[in-house]
Amino acid sequence: MEKNENAPVPEGYVPHPRVYYYPGCSLMSTARDLGESLFQMARLVGSWLEELKDWNCCGASPAHSVNQNYAILLAGRNLVLAERQGIKDLFVICPSCFVRLRTAAKTLMADEDKNALLEEAVGKRYQGSVRLRFFLEVGSASQMNVFRQAVVNPLKGLKGVLYFGCLLTRPEWITGFDVLPYEDELRSFVESMGVETLDWGYGKQCCGAHLALTKPDHVDSLVDRIRDHARRVGANCMISFCPLCQVNMELRGKNSEPLPVFYVSELIGMACRLPRTEKWIRKHLVDPRKLLAEHNLL
Amino acid sequence: MQVDRSFIREVEERSGQRFGACFHCMACSGGCPVSDIMDYLPNQIVRMMQLGMRREVLESRAIWVCVGCYSCVSQCPNRVHIPYMMDALRELALEEGVKIGEPDIWTFHREFLKQVDKRGRVYELEFMARYKLATLSLFNDMGSGMKMLFNGRLELLPHRVKKLQEIRKIREVCYGKK
Repeated sequence: MEKNENAPVPEGYVPHPRVYYYPGCSLMSTARDLGESLFQMARLVGSWLEELKDWNCCGASPAHSVNQNYAILLAGRNLVLAERQGIKDLFVICPSCFVRLRTAAKTLMADEDKNALLEEAVGKRYQGSVRLRFFLEVGSASQMNVFRQAVVNPLKGLKGVLYFGCLLTRPEWITGFDVLPYEDELRSFVESMGVETLDWGYGKQCCGAHLALTKPDHVDSLVDRIRDHARRVGANCMISFCPLCQVNMELRGKNSEPLPVFYVSELIGMACRLPRTEKWIRKHLVDPRKLLAEHNLL
Repeated sequence: MQVDRSFIREVEERSGQRFGACFHCMACSGGCPVSDIMDYLPNQIVRMMQLGMRREVLESRAIWVCVGCYSCVSQCPNRVHIPYMMDALRELALEEGVKIGEPDIWTFHREFLKQVDKRGRVYELEFMARYKLATLSLFNDMGSGMKMLFNGRLELLPHRVKKLQEIRKIREVCYGKK
C-alpha cells in the first residue's frame, strides 16, 4: 500500500533517521531472534529501518568457493541497487555478508574488467559511492548512550565471553576495523548492559562454518573445544555476533554442556526491557530461560 | 628433474598471489581450524604447486575442506592469501572436471547456488532437503532441524528477487551460456 504523504503530522513528531540495511538470507529464518531484537533496538533510538529493495543473496561461501566472478557480481548487484536507490550508508547485519560485500566493492573499484562484467549483467557499473558498515556501527557514540541510559534491568549474574568468530574483524584490510579498539568498544558496550565479560583465548576460533552440515563430527569437536574453554573461565553464556556462529554454538558439540548464546541486540532488549523480549528468547535452541530466571532477569 | 611451472603460474594469476613469498614457516597450517581433516596442509599445497603436482592438488580434499575463516592470512608473515588460493584451485578443479576430493562439500555448494539461481535468495528448507537427498543423509540432524522449525527459525515460504532476470544474466556472464 502507498504511504499517505498528506497524512497530518502528529504533534511533537521528529522525523526518523532512515537506516538502510542489507538483511542477508538468515535474518528472518535461522537468525530470527537476531532480526526481531534488532528491530526493537532500532525502535529505541527512533531509527526507521528500511531494507535494501530487491536485494539478493551475497553468494556466501559457495559462490566464491567455486566461481570468483560469480561471487563478485552477486554481491556487486546489491551495491548497484544501493546506488540506484540513493543509499549512502548501507548497514550489513551478517559478518559474512559484510565481508563478501566489502570484498566485492574493493575488487570492483580496482578491477575495470570485473566492473565491465557487472555492467553487462545489470546494466550499470558500480561507482563506489556506497559506504558499507556493520550493523553495530549504527550507534554513533551518542546513540550508544541512548542504550546505556535505557538500561532498567542490568543483566547482573550473566557472565559472558565475547565470541567474535572469524569474520567480524578479519581480515582487517577488508573490514576496515582497527581490531583491538573495536573489540574493546564492543566489550565495554556489553558490560554497560550489566553483563560481566571474561577473558579467554578462543574469541576468534572458527566454529566450523558450513562444515556443520557436511562434516558434523569435526564441527562437534571444534565447538566442544570452544565451549569447554568458555566454561573453564567461568562463563554461563556466550555473546555472538554472527548468525552462523550462533547456530553452530547452540546446535553442535557433543561432549560439553551447552551454553546459551546471545546476540548483542538481545542483551540490549533484555537490559532495556524492550517489548516482545520473551518472543525471541523462546527461539533459542539452548533455552536460556532457566539461566535468566536464576538471576531474576526475565 | 623437470618441474612443471605452468600450474603454479596459472594459480598465481587467478588468485593474485605470489607463492614465491611463502617460506614454509607453517603458520597457516598451525592455526588452521580444519587442518585435522585435510589430507594435505595448506603450506603443503603450496609446496606441491611449486613442484608442479597438478593432479594431486586439484584432486585433494584439502581444497574443499578450507572454510575461508582467514586465520591463516592473519598469521602469515608474508600475507600469502591461502583462502584466495583455495578459491582458485576449486575453480580450476571444476573447470578441468577432475575427481572431486570432497563430493559432499561440492554438493553443498552446488545446491546452495541452485537456490540463488532459482530465486536470488536461499530458501533454507528446500536447500536442506535437497542437500540431504543428494547426499543420502536424510535422517542426520532430524531432531535439531525439527526444533528449529518449531521454534520458528526456518522460514516456511520462499522469497524471491523481483528482477530475477538480472540474477540469470549474472550467471550467464560468469558461466557462459548454457
